[in-house]
Amino acid sequence: MSERRGFSAAPLVGALSDAWNEIRVHRLRVLLSLIGIGVAVAALTAVVAIGEYQKQLTAEQSDRYGGRVATLTMNVGSSDGSPIDWAKLDAHVERVSERYSFSRTSRLVDGTVNSPVQMPEGVTPVLTRLYDADYAVIHRMTVIEGRTLQASDAELLAPPVVITEYMWELLGSVPLSARPTLTMTGDLAGTYPIVGVLPKEGVWDTNVRVDMLYDSYLARAGALPNEASVWREFWVPPEIVNDLAPVLAMDLRAGLDPSLELSLSRSDWASQPGYADSALVFQLVSGAIAGLVLLLGALSLVNVQLVAMRQRIREIGVRRSFGATSGRVFTSVLLENLVATTVAGVVGIMLVVLIMRSEWVVDAMFQGLQDTPPFPFGAALAGLIASVVVGALAGVIPALVALRVKVIDAIRF
Amino acid sequence: MTESLVALRDVSKSVRLPDDSMLQILRGVDLEVAAGDHVSIVGRSGSGKTTLLNILGLLDAPTEGEVLVGGESTARLGAGALDRLRGRQVGFVFQQFNLLAGRSALDNVIVPLSYATGAYFWQRKQLATEMLERVGLGHRLTSTPDQLSGGEQQRVAIARALVRKPRLILADEPTGALDLDTGATIMSLLDEVAAESGAALVTITHDLHVAARARRHYRLDAGVLQVADLDRAFAASTLAGGEGLA
Repeated sequence: MSERRGFSAAPLVGALSDAWNEIRVHRLRVLLSLIGIGVAVAALTAVVAIGEYQKQLTAEQSDRYGGRVATLTMNVGSSDGSPIDWAKLDAHVERVSERYSFSRTSRLVDGTVNSPVQMPEGVTPVLTRLYDADYAVIHRMTVIEGRTLQASDAELLAPPVVITEYMWELLGSVPLSARPTLTMTGDLAGTYPIVGVLPKEGVWDTNVRVDMLYDSYLARAGALPNEASVWREFWVPPEIVNDLAPVLAMDLRAGLDPSLELSLSRSDWASQPGYADSALVFQLVSGAIAGLVLLLGALSLVNVQLVAMRQRIREIGVRRSFGATSGRVFTSVLLENLVATTVAGVVGIMLVVLIMRSEWVVDAMFQGLQDTPPFPFGAALAGLIASVVVGALAGVIPALVALRVKVIDAIRF
Repeated sequence: MTESLVALRDVSKSVRLPDDSMLQILRGVDLEVAAGDHVSIVGRSGSGKTTLLNILGLLDAPTEGEVLVGGESTARLGAGALDRLRGRQVGFVFQQFNLLAGRSALDNVIVPLSYATGAYFWQRKQLATEMLERVGLGHRLTSTPDQLSGGEQQRVAIARALVRKPRLILADEPTGALDLDTGATIMSLLDEVAAESGAALVTITHDLHVAARARRHYRLDAGVLQVADLDRAFAASTLAGGEGLA
């Protein structure tokens, strides 16, 4: 039998085999030293994943105010203060819109219309928001009870309404299955079935408001009050919004009454320059915390490995006496840490993936999240890279100690 | 004489002590070991036996003189080359066995093969099993050192020393931790297995009975190596009422 000279895969396979055997034989010590690393990698992965989920949640919350990416909002004002013929303006906008085939558009009247509603303490003017059914989609509207308004609601003789949670509480929180109604007086006299309840934005939220379809309101009241101002929103693909906006604005202005001033601008969160920065700051801060946890885990690993190395001096001496080169001993000790931390890291990552895929956890952590994103691949990758890097860094110090072991002293140790 | 396997030429070894003085351990040692040779070196504790063995096994370098392996000086070899040469040519049997704790007998015997290449590496499990069977431990492959008696542990150590078919076996007090009967059995086994493989055996001991098994006998005294007269040593030890080297 002879030994090969020149290139051979045996040293690498042997070093890996040594590393794995060491982990296998000292599994309890390895397990204890790696709990910290597993937890730290899990924390890092979780932070990155939570960051992604938080980003999605913040985006969705921002969508509720300014509309989804990309929402263009049109505002029209009269330069001489004369009342605006909103019906005529509507017809003009509809004509222009036909050429663009927008998937979602909505008119919006917010903050300028009040309706006389029969409340427990008597008839009270209640702020009324008017919009088209697409508004619920553009603004990711969510309800805690019932549903949002639909286009077909405009054809119903009793126009459905959606009310805020606080108003619902004032009305006795009657379950929607009991088909509660609102009663209005004056021009809007009649009953209005309550089909949905909008959630509070916080415990402090005491907003009392009724949402109704724009066309339903006009059908009942005949016209908007003079002080009302109508906005128009267009939901357009983000990749073309910058090219589309100036052209659309030009088309909308063309043929418009000269006394009217029309502005068109983006209202979604992505158009706000500070938004990306704040998301980055969140990720940097949480990443720094996870990095510190990881550093502590690495330090404890180095500590345990250095103590273990003291106990392995004789073993290293024996190995050296049977032909292990110092390079081989260094590689084996380094690989031991690398293999162990990678295994710990993978376990930590899998744990986080399992936890974060649980609907219960996501619902509890990110209340109101509509579109749960898939588990971010970047988070798993970051965790894996972190565990490999920590293994390499934490492995170098004990490996250097192993390298300096004097064989003749070690075998008598 | 057959071809020289390892030779020491005028080897001296000294070390610097903490008080900056020099301690001379070996002085002008000349020794030649040929393939199939069996040499014993006796000497008192502290006479430099282990240092001599370490130099023979390329674990330590002399302060003066040179070590030749296969007629080639090792002085210019780098650390890695020396490690590889030692792995291929030398097998060690230690007094305290030095088995790896927590590892099975098989894993311990595999150790030298894991630093080999070619068939020795890829067939390491099979070769280690065969060697353990050869030393009578085929039924204890999975036993860890703490489950083995002293004699069994030394058998594992012998299997480990021989499994890579080294040309030189260095045994440092191989029976030092064993009782007389077990020691005799172990030495017979070591002689037998070494003779089978054609390896040279250098035994360091202070047990004259162990030393007597060798064909050539040396005595190390205050770092000086001389040919030993075992008959005189036996007579002296009998007069002194002991078996060891007085």
